[in-house]
Amino acid sequence: MQTTKGLKLADILTTIVISIVFGIVYKLWGPFYYFVKPFGLHVDQLIYGMWFIAATVAFLIIRKPGVALLAEIAASSGEFIMGSEWGLEVLLYGVVQGLFAEAAFAAFRYKQFDVFVVSLAAIGSTIGSLIMDFYKGYIEALAPWNLALFLLARFVGAVLISGVFASSLVKALEATGVTQMVRSASKEDYEQLDR
Amino acid sequence: MRWDIHYRETWLHRTNPSLKLLVMMSIFILVLFLHNPNVLINLSIGLFLLFFIYTGYPLKYLLLFFLPFFVIFVSTASSMTLFGQGTTTWVQWGLVHVTKESFLRGMHLGFRALTFALLGLIFSLTTRPVYLFYSLMQQLKLKPKYAYSFLAGVRLIPIMLEEFQTVQNALKVRGAGHSGTLEKVKRYAVPLLSQSIRRAQRIAVAMEAKRFSNETKRTFYYRIGFSKYDLMFLFSMIGIIMLSYYAATVFPYIPVTDVR
Amino acid sequence: MECIASVEQLRLKFPGKETLLFKDLSLSFKKGEKVLLIGPSGCGKSTLLQVLSGLIPHSVDIPMKAKHIRVPDNWGYVFQDPDSQFCMPFVDEEIAFVLENISVPREQMPERIEGLLRAVNLQVPPHTNIHTLSGGMKQRLALASVLALEPDVLFLDEPTAMIDDEGTEMIWRTVKQIAYDKTVIIVEHKIEHVLDFVDRIILFNDAGEIVADGEASTIFHNYKEVIASQGVWYPRIWDDYKKKKKVRRHSSEQREVICLENFQGYRNKEVKIRVNTARVHEGEWIAVTGKNGAGKSTLLHALMKLIPTDGEYKVYGNRLEQTKQLARRIAFVFQNPEFQFVTNSVWEEMAYSLRLEKRTEQEIASEVERLLKMFHLEEQKKQHPYQLSMGQKRRLSVAASIISGQKVFLLDEPTFGQDAKNTFALLELFESYREKGAAIIMVTHDEQIVKHFATRRWIIENGQLVRDEPVMPETKKALSVQGGSSREMGYSLS
Repeated sequence: MQTTKGLKLADILTTIVISIVFGIVYKLWGPFYYFVKPFGLHVDQLIYGMWFIAATVAFLIIRKPGVALLAEIAASSGEFIMGSEWGLEVLLYGVVQGLFAEAAFAAFRYKQFDVFVVSLAAIGSTIGSLIMDFYKGYIEALAPWNLALFLLARFVGAVLISGVFASSLVKALEATGVTQMVRSASKEDYEQLDR
Repeated sequence: MRWDIHYRETWLHRTNPSLKLLVMMSIFILVLFLHNPNVLINLSIGLFLLFFIYTGYPLKYLLLFFLPFFVIFVSTASSMTLFGQGTTTWVQWGLVHVTKESFLRGMHLGFRALTFALLGLIFSLTTRPVYLFYSLMQQLKLKPKYAYSFLAGVRLIPIMLEEFQTVQNALKVRGAGHSGTLEKVKRYAVPLLSQSIRRAQRIAVAMEAKRFSNETKRTFYYRIGFSKYDLMFLFSMIGIIMLSYYAATVFPYIPVTDVR
Repeated sequence: MECIASVEQLRLKFPGKETLLFKDLSLSFKKGEKVLLIGPSGCGKSTLLQVLSGLIPHSVDIPMKAKHIRVPDNWGYVFQDPDSQFCMPFVDEEIAFVLENISVPREQMPERIEGLLRAVNLQVPPHTNIHTLSGGMKQRLALASVLALEPDVLFLDEPTAMIDDEGTEMIWRTVKQIAYDKTVIIVEHKIEHVLDFVDRIILFNDAGEIVADGEASTIFHNYKEVIASQGVWYPRIWDDYKKKKKVRRHSSEQREVICLENFQGYRNKEVKIRVNTARVHEGEWIAVTGKNGAGKSTLLHALMKLIPTDGEYKVYGNRLEQTKQLARRIAFVFQNPEFQFVTNSVWEEMAYSLRLEKRTEQEIASEVERLLKMFHLEEQKKQHPYQLSMGQKRRLSVAASIISGQKVFLLDEPTFGQDAKNTFALLELFESYREKGAAIIMVTHDEQIVKHFATRRWIIENGQLVRDEPVMPETKKALSVQGGSSREMGYSLS
């Protein structure tokens, strides 16, 4: 029951450690991404959404403001430290993607934890990544049909992976009982002390 | 950060980590707005030399680290080359449409990815995370609760990789091999995440049991300051950039200054 | 004497649980006392330490209230798990972290760090990677960093639960050296090295109530039966066990199960384990012993082909190349049971391998029910595997691994960190399989297990099987006189 401002140490540490697990996934996802990239038909974009999952999973577990942003930064730092193929770029992408995911959760005042909100956050992260791509990758210069396919694949993939899949992953984790350690005790629990 | 490899400590290792990070971030942003392929090629050559000569790692490892970046180069370049828009057609074959413009843009993107990768490699090969976070606390006023949480997390990476291996073996033994990619991610993620969450909670309690507090003033075991190496770093970076621009105007490789 | 820590009418409840863990518990500790808290797993001893130190509710949000609590001003806390109490990568940095917390000037740190390492007999260079230390060394580092706080009161929360015998002894020797003038409050399941140090024992029951509280030797003698029934490792427990049990272990030469000739296992293209020649027969229990890092686990990995191998290796006369094929004949039980769980309930977990073999539902159900009963998991069959207690998790991981009828068990320290009750129960289960002809290859550090259960011993040194000898205990003659089935007094399990 600390009354310090912002996140507690335990929240921060848990967010970061969760994110580092995803940092490992992110790192392994890189080669996979190139493996499924059969030159331009954008199948690769369908799996791009994995890189947004740290924010949604961490938020669903800890359920506090700031967690989504921190998670995405931490996961990309982890990926970076383990020697990402993309180098420094992952850090900046992480920040932007995290900000947009955070905005989605903030829009619901951090009170809603269903598939809908996390899918929205996934869409947010996608928009963030596209802004970065716009500057970095000249995506606007792709042929229009190709660009459309690219965008569609990325959005759909993001919602499926970082939205739907993330929710089901957290449900599986909740079944293990471990999430109880993280979330704060309810009022009823305190009331039962007096019985 | 590489765990088991012995390296020679160079001046790049002694540069202030915060400064190094900021400078590299600035170059990163500069490159985002750099559309002249001549300058970009020069810049990547400059950074490549820095990486090759001054990171202090044995040649074998340097080549090993660098290998994946060729793949990135090719794949980044190819997508734009094959499907980009342009007016001077070179090849037209089904959906594939290679134009002079798209080719140049593709190459430019390839070199850009290479630059980002080099910046990242140089940084992570020459910066110990502990020094980085101490420096971030001392120079950029990062809150200790974030810095030490990151450090605790970094410490857990090798442990997690070991656990990852164990889960892999366990799944093999149990015959849980045949499943979709996402199902597989879940099979790995649930044990690793639950173990990590428990560990994070315990470490946080242990840290507070050792009187860690975000409020009280603390001393630092490592004092990270500035030295002549920082000037050296700053000048060499500025040098590389200026040379890149100069060489690009005097000896251009291709007569194009903007690939957009 | 002066009271240094106390609680009065403590009430505490874990979120989501129906009942209170403590109801109106009152306790107080005097300055300089050395106190041991004993009780069954889950009775709340560790939680109580966290309340007494103020970690609950300051750092851990658990609903609690008390009429009065006195938390000592200067305390240090050593936790159970050596891998989750450090936040820095190197030994010196970890201790420095504590010194930074209490604003020790930087100039004094190196000297203080060396002094603290000396105090806990940790003879490593200060700048050593913590990851390379053994569990026992890590716990002594934890002690050193706690000592940096210059505490009056030490809370020791099962500091040796995850440590082998050798490490355990070193830890307690160190505690005795450094804490003679401090108040020490200990929770511990392995009390052999603690009994001569403490002067007061508090005994809890599983409802979190105090059963007895008083002078150490009196309590230990008067309540020995209670203590034993709680699964505590007390001195001479193996003698008592032997008295009650017949441990019968003759293995007549039976069918050959495993044959190894010039067998080698590789990691990163280097030979990490080598066996020139060895045989395993049905009904044998082979204890694999050797120092930390000698290659014991690597041997098991090689036998399961989880790492590349070469040389001759036959199972029931067949060369099997893939882990998948081996897994049908050999059960492998990992150290951390959680890593091998793949389903959401105990029942499904047991059925998993049978499902893969496409057995009929009827067959699956009868086999699962049989093993659930045998492994005392019937009541838990609907629970999530992760929600089980430590002992239950371990039993489930064994049961689920052997359910498709494997007759060779590879066990990597299966009783490590378990309380006495669960250890004996597990060993007896293995023994019953061995009697029916299973072959067991088990990595262990516990000499008592080797002495009382193994039929052979393999000693591994520097990645090589250097000795293969039968275990010839002197106890055998004495014990074979006693009759009765080995499961006559099966340990009742929680």
